Amino acid sequence: MAAVLGLIIGVVIGIFVQPDIPVFMQPYLPIMVVAALDALLGAARAYFQRSFSDKVFVISFFSNVITATLLVLLGNQLGVGSQLQTAVIVVLGIRIFSNVSAIRRFIFRG
Amino acid sequence: MAPHRKSTRPDVLSRMHDQHAQDRKNDRVETGSFPVVGRKPRRNRSLDSNRSRARLITNIFVLVLCALLGYGYVIQINNTRSTYETMSEEELTRLISETSNQVQLLEERRNELEDQLTSLQEAANTQEEAQRIARQNEETSGILSGRLPAVGKGVVIQISQGRIATVDAATMFSLIEELRNAGAEVIAINDVRVVTRTYISDTDEGLVCDGTPLQTPYVVKAIGDPQNLQNAVSIAGGIGSRLEVRYGATVDVTTSDSVEIDEIAESPQYTYARTVQ
Repeated sequence: MAAVLGLIIGVVIGIFVQPDIPVFMQPYLPIMVVAALDALLGAARAYFQRSFSDKVFVISFFSNVITATLLVLLGNQLGVGSQLQTAVIVVLGIRIFSNVSAIRRFIFRG
Repeated sequence: MAPHRKSTRPDVLSRMHDQHAQDRKNDRVETGSFPVVGRKPRRNRSLDSNRSRARLITNIFVLVLCALLGYGYVIQINNTRSTYETMSEEELTRLISETSNQVQLLEERRNELEDQLTSLQEAANTQEEAQRIARQNEETSGILSGRLPAVGKGVVIQISQGRIATVDAATMFSLIEELRNAGAEVIAINDVRVVTRTYISDTDEGLVCDGTPLQTPYVVKAIGDPQNLQNAVSIAGGIGSRLEVRYGATVDVTTSDSVEIDEIAESPQYTYARTVQ
């Protein structure tokens, strides 16, 4: 409930308030969004498995976002930024898919 | 010993029974790979006093984080028209090469189109030139064949009926020939335009030119150099003096700056002659 409400509030704020993103942050924002999405879906899965913990969710949210950003930053510094970005996106995408399939299995039992 | 044993045995049995029942119950719980009971009641017991507060904090955390996610998502969506500043060197190089490629293609296309344009213009010019020549030809041949009226400097010759003899066709014809030799461009006798196939013949009623009877006085109009034409007619021993002496006709040559010949000749329909293709 809170998650859905938060998403709606965030989208509305984003529509009405459009700040200029600092240039140094621009390449990392999409990665951050995907990582956060992965954390959110992981939390949803945990919720369905009745093992949801707020601490774990907060930590996984931030650790996901920071790890993804740091990886891409590292890649940019090493000159393989785009490749590493692709790798992070692929891994997060796979995780999102597996989370979604787990959630689906809980919703449609069997 | 015995009572002790008796008392413990059922206890063990019942404990085993209880354990078995609990295991079965745990197995039935359809959660993940591990039964997740046990931890929750302990935590709930420890935080029993501020359980509602903890739940509120949890909800706020989740709300804030999800709001952050949605916010970032929307910002990123609106940010897709991103500048070149965020692109890597590689991407920029690719972009430049693609753009220059495109420019080259467009330049080639432009050259092609320009070539087409020039060729089309040339064609149009050629056509215009052809039209001009055709118009000129039409004018020239129109005057030559007698299709068009003509005006210009020339002479008007009036020949009265001869007192000694009637002027015959041969003499009139030689008059026309003399005029032609002198450079007459357009000639008309009375109402008849003289063209290449004009004939003059003698009949009982007098001269007939192209089927039209000629009445005296004969008026011969000719366009050309007036001086030459006048000389051709009135030269000593020429056609003029012959007309005066042999036929007793009066020949009156007037030069004019504007001799107008309105008479036109019908173009013939050619039955046999065809242009060579």
